[in-house]
Amino acid sequence: MHKLQLIGCLLIVSLLLSGCWSKRELNELAIVTALGIDKVDDGFEISIQIVEPSEISAKQPSAGRSPVITYHERGKTVFEAIRKITTLAARKPYFSHLQIVVIGEELAKSNMVDVLDFISRDHEFRNDFNIIVSHEVNAKEVLSILTPIEKIPASKMLNSLQASEKVWGSVLTVNIDDLINTLSNNEESAVISAITMDGSKSLGMSQTNVQQAETSTLLKYIGLAIFKNGQQIGLLNAEDSRGISYLDNKIESTVEIISCPKEGTLTTEITHAQTKIKGRFEGNMPQLKVQITIEQNVGEVECMLNLGEKKTIEMINKRTEELIHKRIEHTLQILQQDYQVDVLSFGEVLHRKDPEKWKKIKKDWLAIFSEMPIHIEVNVKTQALGTMENFPVRNEKNMGE
Amino acid sequence: MSVSKGNDTSHINATEDCLHRSLAKNIKIIKQTLGNSDDIIIRQLVIDEAQNQSIAILYIDGLSDKTAISDAIIDKLLLNTNDFTIEHIKASCLTIGDVKDITQFMTLYQTLLNGDAVILIDNCVTGIATNTKHAKDRAVMEPSTESVIRGPREAFTETLRTNTALIRRKIKSPNLWIKSRIIGEVTQTDVSVMYINGIASDKIVAEVLARLDRINTDSILESGYIESYIQDAQLSLFPTIYNTERPDVIAGELLDGKIAILVDGTPFVLVVPALFTSFLQSAEDYYQNWMVSTLIRALRFFGISLALVAPSLYVAITTFHQEMLPTPMLISIASQREGVPFPAIVEALIMEVAFEVLREAGLRMPRTIGPAVSIVGTLVIGQAAVEAGVVSAVMVIIVALTAICSFLFPAYGLSNTVRVLRFPLMIIASMFGLFGVMFGVMIILLHLCSIRTFGVPYLSPFAPFILKDQKDAFILFPRKALLTRPRLINQKNMVRGHRYIAIKRRNQRDG
Repeated sequence: MHKLQLIGCLLIVSLLLSGCWSKRELNELAIVTALGIDKVDDGFEISIQIVEPSEISAKQPSAGRSPVITYHERGKTVFEAIRKITTLAARKPYFSHLQIVVIGEELAKSNMVDVLDFISRDHEFRNDFNIIVSHEVNAKEVLSILTPIEKIPASKMLNSLQASEKVWGSVLTVNIDDLINTLSNNEESAVISAITMDGSKSLGMSQTNVQQAETSTLLKYIGLAIFKNGQQIGLLNAEDSRGISYLDNKIESTVEIISCPKEGTLTTEITHAQTKIKGRFEGNMPQLKVQITIEQNVGEVECMLNLGEKKTIEMINKRTEELIHKRIEHTLQILQQDYQVDVLSFGEVLHRKDPEKWKKIKKDWLAIFSEMPIHIEVNVKTQALGTMENFPVRNEKNMGE
Repeated sequence: MSVSKGNDTSHINATEDCLHRSLAKNIKIIKQTLGNSDDIIIRQLVIDEAQNQSIAILYIDGLSDKTAISDAIIDKLLLNTNDFTIEHIKASCLTIGDVKDITQFMTLYQTLLNGDAVILIDNCVTGIATNTKHAKDRAVMEPSTESVIRGPREAFTETLRTNTALIRRKIKSPNLWIKSRIIGEVTQTDVSVMYINGIASDKIVAEVLARLDRINTDSILESGYIESYIQDAQLSLFPTIYNTERPDVIAGELLDGKIAILVDGTPFVLVVPALFTSFLQSAEDYYQNWMVSTLIRALRFFGISLALVAPSLYVAITTFHQEMLPTPMLISIASQREGVPFPAIVEALIMEVAFEVLREAGLRMPRTIGPAVSIVGTLVIGQAAVEAGVVSAVMVIIVALTAICSFLFPAYGLSNTVRVLRFPLMIIASMFGLFGVMFGVMIILLHLCSIRTFGVPYLSPFAPFILKDQKDAFILFPRKALLTRPRLINQKNMVRGHRYIAIKRRNQRDG
């Protein structure tokens, strides 16, 4: 009996000493979907976007209230500011469902690394949210814009980011773990997608922004921001951003426009792209080779071509190869010469190839990188022509001539 | 046999005695003992006026077959004119199948109260018991608690003999044995233990009989009485004895080596030892395609888990682990919970209790007011409560899901267990979240592992894991592959059939 009592006690104690004490009812939560961090004179300004669930649910919304509420608070540190937000928010912010973190441009340009510490240290933050930077606006303003269709602007930002990474390639989804990994491996350099606001700030913040067919103020991704030493040092345009995506083997599908022999253009749909980066040492000099294998379909023909001929397809392959080759070359040139930053971990490739020799050049790597020639090899295959061969309307015209 | 060792027979101590020579004296004693009850019919005849030989026929009105008594006893006795010895009457006079001698009052009362007619002869210390039992009983009807789409339509009745006959009709083997007991000092209920000799384990049969003999009570009115007397885990919510009203299920279990206990007066027959899996298997599983049965069994296992933990998971996740929900779902649930005045656990308890009340009400009330209860249940409790914002719509969904899942069990016994266990799990979930739910489920599992029923582990063939018996547990193999009986039930007669004998026979015939 004594033994039984002891076991009983142990069981009860194990229940009481462990378990989850953080009991919170669902209607005591303020679900934060987006977090914005800006730099201000004496610290940081935090913006959080909180969902008003009753406005979002499938049931009829009650009374034209905004589906999200944005709160701002300043503090010396991010953590302080977040805790201070409780003084103005109706409920304690709940960060587990955070979808996106927007780093203000000013903060990005000064030093972003410090704020990442809190975000990755706090237990309530999961690690599956994406990080973006704002361009020409601050994070506070980005979080104040209301968006149509997706009632939660954070979802809009996330969906749009994921969709354009998938079918266009000018942005990259970067979550906190990815970012911290790249920053620590690449001597604090990384690329992060940049978002900007298109239209008037004041209009975007009002409900009228979502009440018209044409949204007056939009949030729009413009490309990739380049970080070096934890600071944003530049912004790539859409073309170069896609170059980065090619180099990073992140292109799932995109579109390329090549010019036809005489006049007009032909658009191809890249359906598959595989990038291999190979490094080797020639003596002590590192050599890099970028091999890109691409499969594509013909997407849109705006010139006179007979797609039935093998010659035409070969021409299309060749022109696409040239185009992509040129783009990669340009992107590499920007990275090597303009910014002198190895965001794509080329150094890592060499390190893996020959750790001994890498150690020797590690110190001067960025200098070597900016000078070294990188060999690019693009291989394009056209797989399909879409649902038809030659456009019948144009062909008949051709036949007549 | 526990016939006359009780405390309630003290007032008929005289009945310990043997029958007297004088018929008049015997009848007087009988009348006195039975309190002159007017359903005791005592018919006195003088069959030979010359010798003034009188005879009495005793039976109970309503329990005996009057036609048989008048045709096969009175008629034949009156025609008999020369010999009045008991031997002669038995041998060449009565046209009744089953006759026995009676020498004691106690046996006389027993046979009389069982519906047999008793013949007493003046100047003779021996009476004759004749089998004329013919009580009013219910016809064999369709089972009302375990219906199947495909399978036999007959169910046991309240009459023990009909029930044993129903089983005999399925298993025509000389090895189908019946051992009978009379239990209950006052009710004197017939209890029969049926098993297939050679397949059932002798040890378990002996144990069942021993446990039955240990019962000391005044009454057995239903097999549930026997169940609670002989079951192993008295303090467990889990049933360790299976009951069914389907003869085909009993036949199947007997062929598995199990033992059936039939009790007079109830159509529910007990089966021991009952394993956990028995409660999740339906007779129909064996009658339809094995793949369908396997899927349906999986569904039942899923259903029992859901019925057990769905409300507690809801409570745990919405109050502790909101990060586990996908964001759109969290927002949707949160929006429904806006304005609900109670914490999730109170909400869950209200709805679960309301459902249990409705269920119990639906079961007990007169059938004619059934629709009223369902209207009150669905409209008032369900819809109005949600519209009034007292409970959230998700909670109603969860309760409905739980309710539907708890009706998935082929055996009602386990459904009740799950019904009860749901509540402590919900409370523990509200205090400790998923940790609490897991803790509760672990305790339930450990408890299940610890139960033994008549020496057989309750969770077998899962714990202990028996690979060979997996063929008819969670999944069901095709009939052709069910070649052995469950290993832990018995060990001596394992083989049901051989796969290749049919092929061999065919080859022999052809060659």
